[in-house]
Amino acid sequence: MKTLRLLIFLVLLSTIQTSTYAIQRFPKPEFESGYTQPQTLMPHGRAEILSYLDVAVLIIALTFISWVIIRKRSRNWVFWTSMFSLAYFGFYREGCVCAIGSIQNVSLALFDSSYVIPVTVIAFFILPLVYTLLFGRTFCAGVCPFGAMQDLVAFRPQKLGTRLNAILGIIPYLYLGLAILYAATGTDFIICRYDPFVGIFRLNASFGMFFFAGTLLVSGIFIARPYCRFLCPYGVLLNWFSRFSRQHMTITPAHCIQCRLCENSCPYDAIEIPLTEKNPENRKTRVKKLIIIIFLLPLLTFTGGWTASLLHTSLAGVHSKVKLARQVLHPVKDEKQAETFEIQAYKSSGKPEAQVYQEALVVLERFKTGSWWVGSFMGLVFGLLIAGKMLKKYDPDYVPNKGRCFSCAKCVDYCPVKPEKN
Amino acid sequence: MEYFKPSAKLVGLLNRIALSAGLFAFVICLLILVNYYQLKRSDPLNSPALKVLVEKMRSNPDDEQVKLEIRELDLLARKAFFTNRWQIRTGGYLLIFSILIIVICLKTIELIKPKIPETPGSVTATFWSERLLNRKWITYTGISLVLVSVVFAYLTHDQLGDQLERVTGKTAGKSSNQVTMDLAGSTDENPAKVTTVESSIKTDSAIVNLDGYPSQQELNSNFPYFRGPFSTGLTFQKNIPTSWDGKSGKNIKWKTAVPLPGYNSPVVWNDKVFLAGANASKKEVVCFDVATGKILWETPIEKIPGSPAQSPKVNAETGLAAPTCATDGRRVYAIFANGDLAALDFTGKVSWSKNLGLPKNHYGHSSSLITYHDLLIVQYDQSGDANVMAFNGKTGQRVWETSRDVKVSWSSPILVNTGKRVELILVAEPNMVAYAPATGKELWRIDCISGEVGPSAAYSDGIAFSVNEYSKLAAVQVGDTPKVLWESDEFMSDIPSPVASANYLFLATSYGTMICYDAKSGNKYWEKDFGTPIFASPMIADGKVFALDKKGIMHIFRIDKTYTSISDPPLGESSVCTPAFADGRIFIRGDKNLYCIGK
Amino acid sequence: MQDRRSFINLFVRGSFLTGLAFLSGALILRKKEGEFCGLDFGCNRCDKSESCNLPEASLYRETVWQLDPAKCIQCGRCATSCVMTPSAVKCTHVYAMCGYCDLCGGYLKPDTKNISTAAENQLCPTNAIKRKFVEEPFFEYEIDEALCIGCGKCVKGCSAFGNGSLQLQVRHNRCQNCNQCSIARVCPSDAYSRVPASKPYLLKGIEQDSTTAPKINLGEKGV
Repeated sequence: MKTLRLLIFLVLLSTIQTSTYAIQRFPKPEFESGYTQPQTLMPHGRAEILSYLDVAVLIIALTFISWVIIRKRSRNWVFWTSMFSLAYFGFYREGCVCAIGSIQNVSLALFDSSYVIPVTVIAFFILPLVYTLLFGRTFCAGVCPFGAMQDLVAFRPQKLGTRLNAILGIIPYLYLGLAILYAATGTDFIICRYDPFVGIFRLNASFGMFFFAGTLLVSGIFIARPYCRFLCPYGVLLNWFSRFSRQHMTITPAHCIQCRLCENSCPYDAIEIPLTEKNPENRKTRVKKLIIIIFLLPLLTFTGGWTASLLHTSLAGVHSKVKLARQVLHPVKDEKQAETFEIQAYKSSGKPEAQVYQEALVVLERFKTGSWWVGSFMGLVFGLLIAGKMLKKYDPDYVPNKGRCFSCAKCVDYCPVKPEKN
Repeated sequence: MEYFKPSAKLVGLLNRIALSAGLFAFVICLLILVNYYQLKRSDPLNSPALKVLVEKMRSNPDDEQVKLEIRELDLLARKAFFTNRWQIRTGGYLLIFSILIIVICLKTIELIKPKIPETPGSVTATFWSERLLNRKWITYTGISLVLVSVVFAYLTHDQLGDQLERVTGKTAGKSSNQVTMDLAGSTDENPAKVTTVESSIKTDSAIVNLDGYPSQQELNSNFPYFRGPFSTGLTFQKNIPTSWDGKSGKNIKWKTAVPLPGYNSPVVWNDKVFLAGANASKKEVVCFDVATGKILWETPIEKIPGSPAQSPKVNAETGLAAPTCATDGRRVYAIFANGDLAALDFTGKVSWSKNLGLPKNHYGHSSSLITYHDLLIVQYDQSGDANVMAFNGKTGQRVWETSRDVKVSWSSPILVNTGKRVELILVAEPNMVAYAPATGKELWRIDCISGEVGPSAAYSDGIAFSVNEYSKLAAVQVGDTPKVLWESDEFMSDIPSPVASANYLFLATSYGTMICYDAKSGNKYWEKDFGTPIFASPMIADGKVFALDKKGIMHIFRIDKTYTSISDPPLGESSVCTPAFADGRIFIRGDKNLYCIGK
Repeated sequence: MQDRRSFINLFVRGSFLTGLAFLSGALILRKKEGEFCGLDFGCNRCDKSESCNLPEASLYRETVWQLDPAKCIQCGRCATSCVMTPSAVKCTHVYAMCGYCDLCGGYLKPDTKNISTAAENQLCPTNAIKRKFVEEPFFEYEIDEALCIGCGKCVKGCSAFGNGSLQLQVRHNRCQNCNQCSIARVCPSDAYSRVPASKPYLLKGIEQDSTTAPKINLGEKGV
């Protein structure tokens, strides 16, 4: 330290000239040897214009894949388009920006007016939904790199059975609710954080995420598209939108001849088999049950909201402000462990304790309201899912279930019917 | 059969390739795992052996042997670290490559093998029974989800919310005590008489952090200084009313008589409006409640050491309390014609006060105050000894002082952000000078003004404007090498300051003419004679210009190339003070009363 | 029956489309009602920059992650929490602030006896700082980015004993610009925020960069 002090003194003596910068301990030396000071290199990121290119590629890919599916009806073309998307949106763009994650940006923008949402992200959220409303889930078939990746490994798809499908199908709703809750409260983007494939695209991820991705892909050999069917929160929206789509992929190009060849062709259990049996319950009981369910909906909604609101403290626990408040309130008493970095940073910031608590309380309050909403939403989802299992649209032909079908066109190859020549 | 033979062979080959690639991938995967585990388990960069050696060296600093050992071990550790990372990376590539081979093989097999649809089994009539089961299972899932949630909530319930609520209640009370105690200590020297202190204000100010300084957003949402958050006449306020009538009371929220006279303008912070007032025997700061107009407190500024016994001789049009107060959300600061400077907290207690020496100013000191971060900045352009200084807002300690070789002036400082830095710009004969507000260091100067300078500078988009009667109007491009972009001597002002929007400069003259220039080129777009003198500085708020004339009529017009009047509402009382805008309201100090106008 | 169904479909489709149009419109056009933007501070910190019509404002729309060295406490999490290995956060040397000290607090361990480049004296665990003699008594320090892991040890040393010219910064040639920065989530001092892509670095101490550096306020913790 002595040397250091001496040095300060000497330097101060030698250059009694104020620097143009803020007051510094050691003024900038005046070099006599003709030394030129190097530039601090500050490389820029990806050019902004390229993000508009992404939107352009998205529009082109969506238009092309919709044309391929609706008009061209070729599985091969769908496959190669999806390979392109896997290469571009997956490995080149490294999975970011993606439509699935954009849900969070949109919900954060809706709840926090100071958040600046880039137009490109809005485009990535809106465009696939619009195309789905027009042509079905063509986005899933050929544009989403996640879908392409999983489609690639689905070698031995097994039928899961309606029961497992029904139960696992609830997860995306829950995931969507939580993702919106966490994004809207400005806590975290959980979809991005637990995105299994982005690590593969970047060849860089934590061990846990690689393990998750590996598990998903290996199970994807037998259960086709596990992420899309049982996790994807964006899929929930696409499912709703696709049900009301203007056009949709059909299995047969002309008229179904009931040959049953496509019956087992769908790896996602999304083909509606024509009903041959009569409902054992008579009409009166069915109507009665349906009315009961509809009357139960408010109760279910309330139960869901109430249950979730019980959890709001736990849910809010991951928010940094709540974490800090908890640490300030209950300091770690372990002798070995010094103060956490959070406490250190908090102490050096000079923020009053009351403010930390106040901020945490605000967050908790937001989580309370938020968890009521999410819970109510889940209650409603349960009610509607049960009600949905009571209704059946009668169709004499083999048709894809518009909600679940990914429009991948695998079934198209199995149909022996030739298109009618006009 | 002939047709299938080559493809069968090919399929076999592909199958074998896929299998060996799979085995390879498996081995690579294992290797990566081992590698990863090693890196996690014993981070070479934090090797305990190295630490032991370093400890050894510390106790025995001249042991060359230990040093050698450290060097060797350090090199080894770094090598291990980077090799390890290289291995994981290369392993990753190999893994991806082998998986790619597997996928290609299997896809090719899929392609060559003819697709033979499975023969569908017999139709089973289980649809409705399965649906019934599904419904049941969904119900079970729902119920178990609720149960698990309830149990989990019960197990993890730590009443954090309740605890926080309790603690915040307690700490707020505690800090409020501390605040009052601190203030009680200071009141021994300054026995400030606090006329009204509402209990609610006490708790409010307890929550306010008395340290630190406000963010720009806080400043923007309030009206902390003369002429707005930068003192340039620009505000960020919205929903400002454009019609009112002081006589009929239309849109007048309240009107309160101001106890002592003064030509300073109101400043607003959240729920409080501040004014200063003085006569020959008394000086005070008054705080009004924004909602009701009630006077929350009025604190006399007196018994300041060094304060001259006699109040100075001043021009009647300037008065003894011409400078507008400034507030940083923690305290409100006021300065008077005799050089008394005081900081008051929001409960009306004097935090600190001092006298800066009787200013040698023949009309009376009138430069308003401004704050930057935690500094209070005072422009003190007296004749012979002009300077600008900054005080720590909390303690009153002088942080910097820069002497100015200018004549006496009555203008006020403005703060501008040039995109590169924040500059404090002051005008007085003969120049416009910019200082670094944090240090007081002069950044640049340019000669562009003369005479007894009254109007402050305006600023927009890199251009600062100065104007004075019998001088000229000059537009100065700010920066290390300032230059005059354009000049005009057609119209000039001696009291109201100009205001500039992105593209236009609005100049009001004290004889009642409003002129609009192109800010960049100096082209005159229009002039409008209101026929009544204008002493208050025109303000830009809510996308409109507000110019208050001496009769109390507010001329509201568009920021445009042509003069488009929006409305001309009357206050019903004459006024020479610049209006303040905050939270959808306008505050105007008339001759006798303070008005709050709001929808 | 078919007609009714297709009518319902049409109706729902129409309302979905209208909803999407409203949503995107609201997101893109919101806050656009203000005709006026006080350019002074406006373009740098104003939350209206998204809707601002001024040419400068377009520079502030796309954002990237950056950490504010003024808030950084050098906890070392940048090195371990980034999705990239090694981290996209690296030490950046602001030469303009450097004192070129012989006894460099960022290069040497605090209790170093002999000032030399020997391994036992070096603070950097990966030998990423290159020390070069300039002239008596000045030395230049250069960061080898390939070796730097962003642990911030040198930054801590430099801010404690020197001018603070060594600063941690997100290097945008490595940063993936994740939707949500995984370091921001664990940063104890809330130093991470989204900053305009046109001004992607937040350096401390140069002129008044840290106080006036353009920074869009993006709500809490910049999420």
